[in-house]
Amino acid sequence: MYFGTLLLAWWLIAAASGPTAYANVQAFTGSIIGKLILFGYTWALLHHLVSGMRYFVWDLGYGFKANEREALTWGALIAGISLTVLVWIIAYAVGGGR
Amino acid sequence: MSGPSSMRTPLERVRGLGSAHTGTSDFWRQRLTAVAMTLLIVPVLVVILMLIGRNHAGAAQILGSIPIAIILLLFIVASTWHMKIGMQIVIEDYVHSEKVKLACVMANNFFCVAVALASIYAILKLSSGV
Amino acid sequence: MVEFALPKNSKISGGKTWPKPAGATETREFRVYRWNPDDGKNPSVDTYYVDTHDCGPMVLDGLIWIKNHIDPTLTFRRSCREGVCGSCAMNIDGQNTLACTKSMHDVGAGGAVKVNPLPHQPVVKDLVPDLTNFYAQYASIEPWLKTTTPTPQKEWRQSHEDREKLDGLYECILCACCSTSCPSYWWNSERFLGPAALLQATRWVTDSRDEATGERLDNLEDPFRLYRCHTIMNCAKACPKGLNPSEAIAELKFKMVERQI
Repeated sequence: MYFGTLLLAWWLIAAASGPTAYANVQAFTGSIIGKLILFGYTWALLHHLVSGMRYFVWDLGYGFKANEREALTWGALIAGISLTVLVWIIAYAVGGGR
Repeated sequence: MSGPSSMRTPLERVRGLGSAHTGTSDFWRQRLTAVAMTLLIVPVLVVILMLIGRNHAGAAQILGSIPIAIILLLFIVASTWHMKIGMQIVIEDYVHSEKVKLACVMANNFFCVAVALASIYAILKLSSGV
Repeated sequence: MVEFALPKNSKISGGKTWPKPAGATETREFRVYRWNPDDGKNPSVDTYYVDTHDCGPMVLDGLIWIKNHIDPTLTFRRSCREGVCGSCAMNIDGQNTLACTKSMHDVGAGGAVKVNPLPHQPVVKDLVPDLTNFYAQYASIEPWLKTTTPTPQKEWRQSHEDREKLDGLYECILCACCSTSCPSYWWNSERFLGPAALLQATRWVTDSRDEATGERLDNLEDPFRLYRCHTIMNCAKACPKGLNPSEAIAELKFKMVERQI
């Protein structure tokens, strides 16, 4: 995820640089490997997001019982996967795969 | 740190160099940036989804619009700050040689600032339409 | 760098299988970590068979039976055999707990009862860990009532409500099950105080009679002493007394923020 931000930076700089650089990014994100990396990065990001939300609950002093801890953790795992799939479904619906 | 063979008392070894009296501000900022990103994630995802399938001109136009540029700028500041703190915690967890640790923490700062400034520069450039 | 593998002289090798007790109709297999500082050999895991008809139900009963009937050199700490002294803390079937309150029938559905010393501590012999650093960390949080006001003639008074706030904190028996289950403590036990010491720190920060709250928080406010806790919660899972050190540490962190913002 740390190095995934390089993707974001690369993409923004390419957009700022001009059409050729941007086309390179698009060629990468359009390839199978690019899509796999992007999918993995989406999951890593969204899992980190929902998993991180558990810490808001714990920092405020709730959710420390054994069953609550387990529920929060499983919930984060499931929510992370569902959100990732959802985002990619929307992406395909909007952009037709590109 | 002194090893177990040292003749210092166990209590003195635990006390070490004393409390640094810091840590809370990093803890707080990590939560602050986390909340910020939780709020920003939906608009940021919408922006990214809007860009799918567009060519460079279309993408540059969307990225340069004022509300979208501001959303992205906020997200970049929050995320690079968050990842600077987070990575430093990981380094402190696992890297125990004091000098290697200093080098890692320094590299981490450089990396995060570089990513942040490069991204901010790109967005400002797109916004100014040059 | 953190060491993820055991040093060469700590790798487990070989191990002796002791004969089954003669005439026993039902036995339970015990696999016990053995290390002798005097013979220069690497640690090993010995296999013993305990006659369950001649032995009490707890894992500690099994270990005592082995010591009495098979191998008198087997070394472990034990005292109260009822979960109040914390001496017999060890790793049983992958979980840190007290051997005296853990029934051998609750372990691994009839398989071997695997017994190891508490993780990531220097071993003195067999199942006896060196807890010097752990106790020194407890001492470092100054676990006693600190006051400036002259001591009252009779007693320091405390309301029922304030006393209730110590429930879930004062019951700790310092068995070290929690701290030695914490990955963050494994990596940074020289600088991170660990769940047990921090639970006790919370106990004294919470005590309404104590007059050194700020000073206590000052001593804890440190990227390592307190903030190595990443709310992993192994501590809460391990605690044989059902306490929750991670919850206590969250309270400490909240107080830290409270006094700053």
